[in-house]
Amino acid sequence: MKIHQVPGLALLGAALVASQLAAAAPFVPRDDAVVVETLPGRPGDPAVAELRRLRAALAASPTDTEAASDLTRRYFDLATEDGDPRYIGYAEATLRPWPETAATPAEILVLHGKLRQYRHDFPTAMADFDLALRADPANFAARAWRAAILMVQADYTAVRRECDLLAPHASELQAVACVGYLDATTGNSRAAYQRLSAALARAGVIDAGHALWIQTRLAEMAWRTGNHAAAERHFRAGLALGINDNFILAAYADFLLEQGRAAEVMPLLKGWARSDTLLLRLALAARQLKLAEGEKYARTLGERFADAALRGEKLHLQEEARYLLDLKGDTRAALAAASENYRTQREPRDALALMEAALAARDATAAAPALQWMESSGFEDRRFREAAAKLKALKP
Amino acid sequence: MTSKYVILLAFLFAAGAHAHKPSDSYLALSVDGAAVQGQWDIALRDLEFAIGLDADGNGEITWGELRARHNDIAAYALARLAVQADGRNCKLSPTAHLVDEHSDGAYAVLRFDADCGTRAPAAIELAYSLFFDLDPTHRGLLRFERGGAAQTWVLSPERPRVTFKAGEGSRLAQFFDYLREGTWHIWIGFDHILFILSLLLPSVFIFKNKEWKAAERFRDTFWEVFKVVTSFTFAHSITLSLAALSVIALPSRLVESTIALSVVLAALNNLKPFVVERRWAVAFAFGLVHGFGFASVLTDLGLPQGALLLALVGFNLGVEVGQLAIVGAFLPLAYAMRGSWIYRRLVFYGGSAAIALVAAVWLAERVFDFKLL
Repeated sequence: MKIHQVPGLALLGAALVASQLAAAAPFVPRDDAVVVETLPGRPGDPAVAELRRLRAALAASPTDTEAASDLTRRYFDLATEDGDPRYIGYAEATLRPWPETAATPAEILVLHGKLRQYRHDFPTAMADFDLALRADPANFAARAWRAAILMVQADYTAVRRECDLLAPHASELQAVACVGYLDATTGNSRAAYQRLSAALARAGVIDAGHALWIQTRLAEMAWRTGNHAAAERHFRAGLALGINDNFILAAYADFLLEQGRAAEVMPLLKGWARSDTLLLRLALAARQLKLAEGEKYARTLGERFADAALRGEKLHLQEEARYLLDLKGDTRAALAAASENYRTQREPRDALALMEAALAARDATAAAPALQWMESSGFEDRRFREAAAKLKALKP
Repeated sequence: MTSKYVILLAFLFAAGAHAHKPSDSYLALSVDGAAVQGQWDIALRDLEFAIGLDADGNGEITWGELRARHNDIAAYALARLAVQADGRNCKLSPTAHLVDEHSDGAYAVLRFDADCGTRAPAAIELAYSLFFDLDPTHRGLLRFERGGAAQTWVLSPERPRVTFKAGEGSRLAQFFDYLREGTWHIWIGFDHILFILSLLLPSVFIFKNKEWKAAERFRDTFWEVFKVVTSFTFAHSITLSLAALSVIALPSRLVESTIALSVVLAALNNLKPFVVERRWAVAFAFGLVHGFGFASVLTDLGLPQGALLLALVGFNLGVEVGQLAIVGAFLPLAYAMRGSWIYRRLVFYGGSAAIALVAAVWLAERVFDFKLL
């Protein structure tokens, strides 16, 4: 029996949604002193003050391109620091007076593109960056973002071209980083690691954000080649920079979890349960340690995905696949999520999520695109190689 | 660019940094006769951004601070929601303020009455614009309830309006949807049909002295069919329910392969009888596997959590209806023809052999994972 497509059942999906909406139980707090919500950004946080200043500046001159891009950029940084998409919405509202057309300044177009890619609208994002480059061929940001999106789409030939086009407008470190990131994903991690380390040493003092990026990349490259001590060193160096960053925390947590060091994940991610990506790692660590809060984390995560589904958007399918597989044990749903994810997102960890879900479901066919990528990219990571080998062994 | 590092961060953040839930509000509207009531859950973080709640600026919102802004919250929110009943504007007035925890934080809960006149409205139209000016990614997640049936809708800047007419989305309609799907599935699921047919083909015969003889009484044939169909139904209902409720999960390839195998064996059993007396037991045993097959379809359709039983029963009944239609068409014809050469040679032996062959190909396809048919 094949799986048959059945028409006309949107209503039924909606029924699921309906039951989710009904689950709430509102209450009246006991007295006025009860704290009902803690806002992100503590009082005295310079970021909060800066945001207020930028908003005031734009309010004073609503058509000022400079004021709008400063505020948008700040919103975007806040969104990426702790992964809160609300700031992306605020940023979109800020850019509303500037449509995505050739008449709009390149700088604003780049911002539009960044917002688009955040919401996984890659085609429009690429178009925005193209428009920006047409107006300003030396636009470094547009070029770098194009490379980043092509990387997500695993179009490595195109990435190399972007890196070449980017080099004349970049510092040596940036140019090496662009190519290094590509090489490390296509089977040359060791050489990429050497070159990037050397370039970092030559660059001298660089700003903290840049350093964070390089340290995270070096950590990943070292991890990939099995040099765990070096990976550990780079992760720690990155974290020591003191920048709030969702990504390095998630990557380091994954590293610790893979090494059976779940006990170190708990303090690392304490206070980060707001972020779905980090809540997933917390839940996985708590499960490994058999802690009571593991259940609670997993339940909350499940509720978040259910709430996200109500919107009809699927923006973190890779995390959802891992949740379904590792925490809920629903291999079938996990494979469906991982497969759907891999259609638009083809970074290494997306491939791993697909391979592991397919392995659990004993369905090598479903993992075919990831296996193909493994072959053509020459990706070296041991865990990836093992998963791929097991999948191939499944085939008759 | 203020600093170039931001740009290179692109490589880190392109995709996948979507770690939180975006801004949503949960709006429930219920219509009971002429009475229209609503409950609106709005994230405190969104209200803080829109109108400011943290009076002392300490980064924490207390119930006292929230209570002080209740009138402003109601005025702000209700000005951004228009409810019309049969074209007339309803007057919205707040009735209670509470708090609720959603998966991503605390929400202000605003309950309100909509005064839409004294007649029960036929159509309710809603226009929503909360936060769209501040955050175009905001969504209003609407649940509309009337007469025990609920419908949902996502309100966005692109689709800020929705109209609900009386008589849409009732439980009965939902039930019939599943019933139809169940019936449809039996009809297009050839492996189920062939399995049932393989078991039914010999029911108009009696196996005596190592050969098939035409049954003498319709009663015997009827009971034979009844036993086979009932045990098949009973068995697949059990596993369909267990799998649909996620009590048991089996790899789909195993299920699909076993289903193909069941058809092969059932057809071969007609050519070289092995099980004669207890075909109902065979129907039961393999019925368990077919149930998992049905369940995969049901899962693909999506099960409504609020009406799980309804969906299950509806789908299962649909499968039975489809099955009975097959039996109803087959039985009289086969009984009438049971003594003829055509039935015995062509339909019974020829048909069984053809079924066994087709199912064997299915089996190979499913086990070795290739496509032939």
